[in-house]
Amino acid sequence: MITALRWLVFAVAALAMNFPILVTLATSFKSARELSTNPGLWVQAPTLANYLAVFQVTDRLNIALYLFNSMVAALTGTMLAVVLALPAAYAIARGRVGERTLLPLIVNLRAVPLIIFAIPLYMMFQWLALLDTRLGLGLILTIVNLPLALIILVNAIRELPAELDEAAQIDGAGRTRTLVRIIAPMCRPAIVTSLIFGFITAWNEFLFGLMLTTSKAVPITVGASFFFAASGGGVQWGVASAVMIVGALPPVLLGLVMYRQISGSMTAGAVKG
Amino acid sequence: MTTTSPSARTPEFRLLATPLVLFLLVFLGFPAIVNLVYSVSQVSFETLRSPQLSGFSNFAAVWNDTSFWRSVWFSLRFGALTALLECGLGLFLAIFLSPLIVKRSWLLAILMLPLMVAPALVGLMYRLVLHEFVGPVPHYLWIWFGTGVSFLGPGSAFWTLAAVETLQWTPFALLLFYMAYQAIPADIGEAAAIDGAGPLRRLWRIELPLMAPTIVAALLIRFIDGFRVFDNVYVLTGSGPGGATASLSIYIYEAFFKQGAIGKAVAASVLLFAASFAVLYGLNALATRRKGATA
Repeated sequence: MITALRWLVFAVAALAMNFPILVTLATSFKSARELSTNPGLWVQAPTLANYLAVFQVTDRLNIALYLFNSMVAALTGTMLAVVLALPAAYAIARGRVGERTLLPLIVNLRAVPLIIFAIPLYMMFQWLALLDTRLGLGLILTIVNLPLALIILVNAIRELPAELDEAAQIDGAGRTRTLVRIIAPMCRPAIVTSLIFGFITAWNEFLFGLMLTTSKAVPITVGASFFFAASGGGVQWGVASAVMIVGALPPVLLGLVMYRQISGSMTAGAVKG
Repeated sequence: MTTTSPSARTPEFRLLATPLVLFLLVFLGFPAIVNLVYSVSQVSFETLRSPQLSGFSNFAAVWNDTSFWRSVWFSLRFGALTALLECGLGLFLAIFLSPLIVKRSWLLAILMLPLMVAPALVGLMYRLVLHEFVGPVPHYLWIWFGTGVSFLGPGSAFWTLAAVETLQWTPFALLLFYMAYQAIPADIGEAAAIDGAGPLRRLWRIELPLMAPTIVAALLIRFIDGFRVFDNVYVLTGSGPGGATASLSIYIYEAFFKQGAIGKAVAASVLLFAASFAVLYGLNALATRRKGATA
């Protein structure tokens, strides 16, 4: 009896929390004609026309480009964050360098509203000609990803036995060599977790994409919102829905495949940060 | 406990941390200085490189701006309400559903799905969900109850936005609480059961106190995220109707991009920076003192 009630609560919660996604998914398979007559969740005559329309380039909208921009900027922001954080995490965990200053500073960065840096960054990017570039957006996404990457990697390195380093030291390897040859391979699960988490965060970022890009480097989160503005009063809801589904797919697929790693790192970041 | 001798602070370790430090200096240190300088200067888009020092007039302009205080109030209310709702719902779901999830962890993946979707896209999805002609919510409300609600109108926009935020981020609280609940050693509950404590009493006296640190952390994280909300509010209402749903982040964005009031936007940024710094510093001090007390 109580088990049935639990299943009922699960079903209601899952439906309520995923409701916008389900509605958008259903709408993306509706024809324009069905849309005007059937606002419900059930699709009477499913069609793929909306998905084909997504990739038709118009002079104002280029969804394929937005997807490409998101991919390049998110990969840049994800990998650069790990490349910067891994050696620093090693220095913090083993060398006690910056343990009292650098680590708390970056950890607290996660709680600071990043908009306070947005205006100077906008001006700086103007001087450096980084406005509306994928590289520029990738650099900002690196800042967004750094705190969690550093926390995950410091925790992982602290859990490795110190004898590993000492043995390498005795064999005459320098710190850098030890990091590359021994520590990094041992931390592979933590590195993968930071990459997955970073990619999802970076792909889903909106504020800096909105501020720092205008046309050439627009990411999909911002491009999808153009879609609503560009079509004026009459939004093509079917195509708009298909755009949103396509734009949500990469992080959702990654998240569904790797949800165990993600749930673990979310807890680590929340409790130890 | 790892003990590292002072000699372990070799220059090589410093070198390894250098790229990160340099990166932070360029992308956070420099902007912070620009913020401070511009906040006490008279600047416009024409005089970006030659700001004129002008004392604290920018701060005065922000301080006397009623829409600034309105956005502060919106952010505080929004952050507090959504944090409480998300953590309350998340706690209930985590504990009530845990017997199901323990046996089938894939259920967790279904519940976590909203966390993977960009808040901006979820906001846009609600434009469809709540749309008066093509949206299912107004449709079913009309069919079943014969009423229509203006979800993003003056009286209801705040509550609609809070519901949107809550539904997307309750899974985050649920996940943290589920993990914490599973981490409670089974023998503690068994011992209490032998002593005759019922499930509710065990929950109240044993399990919830053990989960308290996680609950506090989740409330804090969700409050901060709700306080600085931008994406879903921006795509759903902009700041409307009539500025009623401008969060502090949206206030700063609009001051800069829509009004070109650089000085005001920067001064508001500095105030927000000072406030976050004060809160974080206080929390850190509190955490260290508590650690010291229990050690």
